[in-house]
Amino acid sequence: MGAQLRVLRRRIASTQSIKKITKAQELVATSRIGKAQERVAAALPYAKAITGVLTALASNCDVNHPLLVPRPVVRRAGVLVITSDKGQCGGYNSNVLRTAERLVARLAREDKNPVLYVTGGKGAAYYKFRGRELAGEWAGFSQKPTVADAQEVAKTLIRAFVNGADDDLEHPGPDGILGVDELFIVSTHFVSMVAQTPQAHNLAPMQVEDVEGDRGLLPAYEFEPEAEELLDALLPKYLVTRVYAALIDAAVSESAARRTAMKNATDNAEEMIKTLTRQRNAARQAEITQEISEIVGGANALAAAGSDD
Amino acid sequence: MTTAVNTGVGRVIRVIGPVVDVEFPRNAIPDINNALKVDVELSGGKKTLTLEVSQHLGDNQVRAICMAPTDGMVRGTEVRDTGNQIQVPVGDGTKGHVFNAIGECLNLKPGEEIDADDHWGIHRKPPAFATLEPKTEMLPTGIKALDLLAPYVKGGKIGLFGGAGVGKTVLIQEMIIRVARNFGGTSVFAGVGERTREGNDLIAEMTEAGVFNDTALVFGQMDEPPGTRLRVALSALTMAEYFRDVKNQEVLLFVDNIFRFTQAGSEVSTLLGRMPSAVGYQPTLADEMGQLQERITSVQGKAITSMQAIYVPADDYTDPAPHTAFTHLDATTNLERKVSDKGIYPAIDPLASSSRILAPEFVGDEHYAVATEVKRILQKYNELQDIIAILGMDELSEEDKLVVGRARRIERFLSQNTYAAKQFTGQEGSTVDVKDTVEAFKKIAEGEYDHFPEQAFFMCGGLDDLERKAAELQK
Repeated sequence: MGAQLRVLRRRIASTQSIKKITKAQELVATSRIGKAQERVAAALPYAKAITGVLTALASNCDVNHPLLVPRPVVRRAGVLVITSDKGQCGGYNSNVLRTAERLVARLAREDKNPVLYVTGGKGAAYYKFRGRELAGEWAGFSQKPTVADAQEVAKTLIRAFVNGADDDLEHPGPDGILGVDELFIVSTHFVSMVAQTPQAHNLAPMQVEDVEGDRGLLPAYEFEPEAEELLDALLPKYLVTRVYAALIDAAVSESAARRTAMKNATDNAEEMIKTLTRQRNAARQAEITQEISEIVGGANALAAAGSDD
Repeated sequence: MTTAVNTGVGRVIRVIGPVVDVEFPRNAIPDINNALKVDVELSGGKKTLTLEVSQHLGDNQVRAICMAPTDGMVRGTEVRDTGNQIQVPVGDGTKGHVFNAIGECLNLKPGEEIDADDHWGIHRKPPAFATLEPKTEMLPTGIKALDLLAPYVKGGKIGLFGGAGVGKTVLIQEMIIRVARNFGGTSVFAGVGERTREGNDLIAEMTEAGVFNDTALVFGQMDEPPGTRLRVALSALTMAEYFRDVKNQEVLLFVDNIFRFTQAGSEVSTLLGRMPSAVGYQPTLADEMGQLQERITSVQGKAITSMQAIYVPADDYTDPAPHTAFTHLDATTNLERKVSDKGIYPAIDPLASSSRILAPEFVGDEHYAVATEVKRILQKYNELQDIIAILGMDELSEEDKLVVGRARRIERFLSQNTYAAKQFTGQEGSTVDVKDTVEAFKKIAEGEYDHFPEQAFFMCGGLDDLERKAAELQK
């Protein structure tokens, strides 16, 4: 009985400290969501502008830029998976990773060799535990990604994609580096505070996507320097924008997921403390009752024995 | 011992429920534990009641416990001292018959008589130290959880602990079916203070299993006064001892439920006016239990293997009653409410159940290693339970997720379809070889079946059963 009481007390204490941590995490995550959303809003005008320019370019000339043209045979496909650095965000990482695994499985079925690139420590740990090779991994910026981070990631991806152009079926081409022929990005899209959906997108060969609304008729441009040269300069920048957009979207989702997860954890801890406290009270009361009844029983027995004399 | 000599006649001077004070002539005071007989007349019927002397009060008075309701007994009624303890018939004639605590047969056909070799008093001395023979041979039951984690000992004492309604009696019945059926010797069943209906079920089941004619049953169920419930285990044990000592047979003794024996002792103790001890139990608790348990032993070449169900009041294992019984046992099987709540039957707690022979020198290195590994995985799962409850599965590290997955599979694989539960599950029971059990758990612990759905592990026998179920679920 006494031992049970002690165990209960200890469990209550440890649950209470867990609750303190989850509660703090919840508050931190809440304040981060707002800041992350501001960053998403701030990135929008630039994304709109560069998309506008590229759309105009693409519709005005007819160039075969390597980043735009689908390869006839796809042997290797790069997949960039965006996960978080830290845990305690519920199913955020497992959802992204599941979507990534589905994509990888699909690629494997299509006889494309998947090559993995991962941002975020959790994703890297997931693949390393399973002994899967990573072609690239970055960590340390999942909650507050900068354009520089996105540039670094995009640089590696573009290099791999460009290198892939000259590969034959088994061997790397003249450049001696195995590249990829397709690029995908798997990240989490922020829908609302309670819903974040993981999604897989095609990154390269690129299709320039419209950002919200139609701009009406495009003016006729004259290019200076040449359109090809312009594309060479602009397309990598556009890819950085795409990666950056995915990173900041994922950062909002991560904070939102963490807020929800930590709120649930706090609730669970509270519930558990409540049950354990009840059990503790019952155990304590049982002990008291037992002691009283033993004392009373003993006293009565003594009294009865005494009255016989 | 066999011939009862009438030594003295006394008179009832006080009746308090089942406690009767009797005054005898100065020179004819009966010994402690002597049986006394009283003829009473109640609503036209005549009955002979049996009492057992338990205290000498002085002034030529003795205090006796009655083995039947004392209705109709009045002051001045004549009491005869039989000069002997309560006698029960022993020998082959007892097989296939049902007795009560004082050795009366309850299932005689008209005109039939018990053909007893002898009559023995129920209070006997335990075998001498020199004749004891501790065995270490395993008794395979075909139940995976038991064979792996708490292997039973041939000639040993096995306790089935459990709170109310977790399946003690069903498991005892299962053991009767599994062990008694393939057992050459004699079985003795003691029903102590449990439901009368279960006695009926048992007889039907034993008849079906074809072991009824090799079994002697002694019942003192919960409708009987405490005196009977206190003595019925001793009566059954006496019959078992005769088979062991005189007939040189291997004996299986089933007792359901030892706690009722303790409980009856507590009631009697209170009625006798002894001061209650811890948690209100009798001060002589450990002594009474010791006297019973010490007699259930194996002597050279002849063994009594006993299986005892032990009720755990309020699921509290530190309660003095189950705790006193604990120390006497070779193997303990703890049935746990948390496990039965998950629908896992038999609801064996894999971490709390233990056995003296779960050691490499008795069961072999591999068996021991696998059992330890299984316990380690389940222990780890147990530790993670709080984290899972608060933060959820997603927060576990990859290694821990793997452990949890395996632990959940092992947990389910520890359940098994049993013969006794066929009426509930509609599934025939399964018997799994110890070797197959060890191999199966080894493979699961090593992660060979990580890809199987958890449900496939539920209520199945060996690996082939598991694979068949998994294939069915895949469809």
